[in-house]
Amino acid sequence: MYLEQLFLSDFRSYGEAEFSPAPHGITVVTGANGAGKTNLIEAVAYLSTLKSLRASPSAALIRAGAPSGSAVLRSRVRHDARLVTVDAELHATGRDRVQVNGQVLRRTRDLLGALQVTVFSPDDLSLVKGPPAGRRSYLDDLLVALQPRRYDLLSELERVLKQRNALLKSALAGRAGGGVGWRPGRPLPDDVKITLDVWDAKLVTVGESLVAARRELVDELQPLVEGAYGSLASGSAAPSRLSTTLAYEVSWSGSLAAALDAARPDDLRRGVTTVGPQRDDVALAIGALPARTHASQGEQRTLALALRLAGHRLLAAALDTPPVLLLDDVFSELDAARADSLMANLPALSETQAIVTTAGELPSGASPAAWFRVEDGKLLV
Amino acid sequence: MYAAAVQDLIDELGRLPGIGPKSAQRIAFHLLKLPRDDALRLARSITTVKDRVSWCRRCFNIAEGGADPEVECGICTDDRRDGTVVCVVEEPRDVVAIEKTREFRGRYHVLQGAISPIDGIGPDKLRIRELLGRLQTEGIEELILCTNPNIEGDATAMYLTALLKDLPVKVSQLASGLPVGGDLEYADEITLGRALEGRRSVSG
Repeated sequence: MYLEQLFLSDFRSYGEAEFSPAPHGITVVTGANGAGKTNLIEAVAYLSTLKSLRASPSAALIRAGAPSGSAVLRSRVRHDARLVTVDAELHATGRDRVQVNGQVLRRTRDLLGALQVTVFSPDDLSLVKGPPAGRRSYLDDLLVALQPRRYDLLSELERVLKQRNALLKSALAGRAGGGVGWRPGRPLPDDVKITLDVWDAKLVTVGESLVAARRELVDELQPLVEGAYGSLASGSAAPSRLSTTLAYEVSWSGSLAAALDAARPDDLRRGVTTVGPQRDDVALAIGALPARTHASQGEQRTLALALRLAGHRLLAAALDTPPVLLLDDVFSELDAARADSLMANLPALSETQAIVTTAGELPSGASPAAWFRVEDGKLLV
Repeated sequence: MYAAAVQDLIDELGRLPGIGPKSAQRIAFHLLKLPRDDALRLARSITTVKDRVSWCRRCFNIAEGGADPEVECGICTDDRRDGTVVCVVEEPRDVVAIEKTREFRGRYHVLQGAISPIDGIGPDKLRIRELLGRLQTEGIEELILCTNPNIEGDATAMYLTALLKDLPVKVSQLASGLPVGGDLEYADEITLGRALEGRRSVSG
C-alpha cells in the first residue's frame, strides 16, 4: 500500500499543504530544525492510528490561531487497484470526525488497516532505555496491526483495570459497601469482596488471552530482531555482541488468579492493580546481558532500529503488502556506518514507500525518488 | 449572556443525557419560537409523567399510578403471567425489548443500573436487596439474568451469580451469540468466541 496524496489544513505548523510522495522508494523531506518535518510524519501516522505520535490531545494538533479552531487531514491511500480515502477533522472542542471512503467512522477499530505505517523516530531509543510501558505498547501496536480485532481485547483490559482501580479506591475511602473505609488487617465488607472477585475474574480472562498473544508475538519477533540486529551491527561489533534475545516477562508468578488474590491487600492499600499484563515487560539482551544497563548508546540505538525493522517485516509478511515506512530524522542519530547499513537493510524499496525526514545529509546509499522542502509551515517541491 | 430565564432553560436542557451545550441552546431557542400551546403541551407531558408514573414497588419497572407508593406495574399485576420465572434486567427499556419478542411470559426485576465503580455504582445502589426479598416471598423458581453483554453488565451478572449460588433458585443467563440475518465472517472475535462457548448440541 502507499500514500498517494495527503492534504493538510491547520494541522500543527501547516496552514495548508499538499503532499504527494513517490509511490515507491524514498521520498525525502528536508528542512531546518523546527520547520515542521516531524509534523508531516505525525499527520501520516495519525491517519493510521488516530493517535498522536507525541501523545498529544487533538487540541494540540490544531495550528495555533487557526480561524476555524479545527484541523483537517485528507488522504488517498492506494491498495493495489483499490483506493481508500481517510479523512479526519480534529476539533479543539467537541468530537473529532473521521471518515473512511466517505463513511463516518463509528469505532476506531474499523479504521485499522486502511493505512499501515512503521514509524522510526529518535524517540525509539526509549524502547530499549525507557520504562516497560514503551515495550508493551510496541507489542500491543503490532498485535492490533496484525489483527485489528485485538483492539477490543486491549480496550477491554483498560476498562476492567479502570473499574477495578475505582473499586479499590472507593473501598479505601469507604464509599463502597456503605461503611467505613477498609484498613489493612480488617476484613472486607461482603459487597466489596464479591464485586472485587468479579473484576478479578474478568481481569484473569482478558489478561490471560493478552499475555498468550504477546508471548506468541515475542516468539515470532525473536528471529527477526536477531537477524535485523545482526545485519545492522555487523562490521561494527564483535561477534559476541551480535546475538540479541527478547523474553516476555510477566509481572507475577503462578496463575494470574492466585497472584491477584495474593496481591489484594497490597492493591487495596495502594488503590491500584499491581499485577497483570499492564505491569509486564519484555527483557531485551545483547550478548546475554540486559541491553538497558549493559549496552552502549550505539548498541541501544541499533537494537531499537532492529525492533522496528522486525515489526515492519512481520507486518509486511502478514499483510501481503508492506506498511509505509516513516523515518523521522533517524540518520542524524546514527554514525555513518550504521546509517549506511540501515539504508542497506530497509526492506525492498522497489515495493515499499518510505518517507524520510532529515535536516542534513542522506546516507551515501540513498537514491531518493522525490524531494520536498519544508519552510515556515509550507511544503515546497 | 442571555436573560436569566433563557439561561435557566439552557442549563436544564444541558443536563439531559446526550445533549451538549450547543444542542441545549438550539432546543431552547426552538422552544422560544414555538407557539405557546405547543410549548405548554411539552411542559404538561413532563409534569404528567412525573405525577402519574413511578417505579413499580415490586419489580422497579415503570408503573402508572400517581404518587401511590404501593403501585405495581401492569406486568406484576397481570395474573396470566408466570410468577415463577423472573427476568433480571438493567433498565425499564430492556423490559420493553424483551416484551417485544413475545417469547417471555414470566415477570421482571429491573436493577436500575449495572455495577460500575467508575460511576460510583456498587451493588448497594442497585435493586438487589429488593430482588433477594422477592426470592423469599414470591415462590420464584428461576431467574434469567439479562444484563447487557458488556463489561459492566457481565460483572453484574457474575456478582448476582455469586450472591445467589447458595439459594434454592435456578439461575440462567441469556445466551450471547450471533445476530440473526448476519454473516459469520463479519462477527467480531469476542461475539464469535462466546457463541462457540455457548454452542448447543443438535444430535448425538
